[in-house]
Amino acid sequence: MYFSHIPLAPEFYLDPGSGSILFQMLVAAFLGAGILIRSQWSRIKRWFGTKPETTDEDNEENGGN
Amino acid sequence: MVGTNRIQGSFRDPSGFLFYRDEILYRQINKKYSDEYNMLMSSGLYENLLKSRLLIPHEDVNVQPEESKDAFKVIRPQKVEFISYPYEWSFSQLKDAALGTLSIQKRAMKYGMSLKDASAYNIQFHEGKATLIDTLSFEKYTEGMPWVAYKQFCQHFLAPLALMAEVDVRLSQLLRIHIDGISLDLASGLLPFSTRLNFGLLTHIHLHSKAQQQYADKQVETSTTKKGGMSRQALQGLIESLESTVKALDWKPVGTEWGDYYNFTNYSDSSFDQKKEIISKWVEKVNPHSVWDMGANTGFFTRIASERGIPSVAFDIDPAAVEKNYRQVKSAKEKNILPLVQDLTNPSPSLGWNNHERDSLSERAPADMVFALAIIHHLAISNNVPLIEVAEFFHGLGKWLVIEFVPKSDSQVQKLLASRVDIFNEYTLEGFEYYFKQKFEIHEKISIKGSERYLYLMKRS
Repeated sequence: MYFSHIPLAPEFYLDPGSGSILFQMLVAAFLGAGILIRSQWSRIKRWFGTKPETTDEDNEENGGN
Repeated sequence: MVGTNRIQGSFRDPSGFLFYRDEILYRQINKKYSDEYNMLMSSGLYENLLKSRLLIPHEDVNVQPEESKDAFKVIRPQKVEFISYPYEWSFSQLKDAALGTLSIQKRAMKYGMSLKDASAYNIQFHEGKATLIDTLSFEKYTEGMPWVAYKQFCQHFLAPLALMAEVDVRLSQLLRIHIDGISLDLASGLLPFSTRLNFGLLTHIHLHSKAQQQYADKQVETSTTKKGGMSRQALQGLIESLESTVKALDWKPVGTEWGDYYNFTNYSDSSFDQKKEIISKWVEKVNPHSVWDMGANTGFFTRIASERGIPSVAFDIDPAAVEKNYRQVKSAKEKNILPLVQDLTNPSPSLGWNNHERDSLSERAPADMVFALAIIHHLAISNNVPLIEVAEFFHGLGKWLVIEFVPKSDSQVQKLLASRVDIFNEYTLEGFEYYFKQKFEIHEKISIKGSERYLYLMKRS
């Protein structure tokens, strides 16, 4: 099989489901690429002097519920 | 030996369990979880989560473990006033619980850890905020690991939220039957075709469900090596995609039975004020430790208690009223009121393994004081419950009872009788007092001016 060595810690007590594991690895590869593109894009924006956006964590810590 | 005080719903995770001793709740942490626990506490993750009220605080205690053979230590978590379940939450409560879980996962990854489960039952509303109550939910993160809780997150949060937003808000009740969340094939079949045009729902529900069916019998070889795994960036991408999918789901509480209830009651402004004054006086007199408002609508009268700092639960059958109430809790950052969906004619039962995993409503009783305002006609007339049974029900819920009697002459009762034969001969003020006196002592009785209704303060006998 294509995904032959999937690292899972032996302590996991849930059955993560074969389909769910294989599917998320496939999908996450694309979604991760999206993050890479976004971070490169914000680097370019910063280079042109645009302020970076605030993260969720900043918002939550500023009193969001 | 298995200790007798172990909480019966706390058995799935071998990392530890909850137990009661002298009416105090403790959590035993087992030896096999010691490394992860130490990492949570020393990495800075615990403080980070506490600062945003995302994790329940706990203290180390010097208490004899319940099962000493496996024990590493015992901790005492801060008390959660009322344990509620996802099938009792409104749309935004489930959504906030989902977003809270994802926020915890993102923070955990920054500190080298990951959530090993994403159960909606691990979230409770503590002082108004969705909070993780399972301190043992963290695992050391090794690059390459997929998110083991992905399936559980989709079943416990994403599928019910999508069904509530895209089909009908009442489908939250599927969580009562499916205690480990809604299977994705079921959700995929129930969701309209248009949800396939939503990238997040297409991916995490429809295609995810197909993949589950496709690979159901395939063995996934696991190892702890880095080879062949999923990069950190890929995992971040997955979590952020789930987050944006959940954020985009919305439901607005409009067009419901009770939406404008307070505008259509039989009260003039002065009788409404009088009712508020009477209840305030009684709450002050009894000074209860907890209040349950049964049929609270958007919580106007519940706030008489919660604004005095009394932990109060505002139950209502209408998901729109509960949603409105919760939005108010959030916007005013109220800490002492918990709105919940509850059908009093069919209250939450005990559920799960051996019927002990999730407590019924009556198992979570008694409250110190119960409000039953303008609800008796719905129970006695709409649902045909004999008055003695209604008295028995409230007797089981709390020590003190503030109850409003709505007579047959009241137009709200007339509406209920408009389309049916009046078989309720005993539904009179005398009949009400006769049956309630068998279960309660009547302490006070006040007529509400400008209406034919009466308010009673009773104590259970």
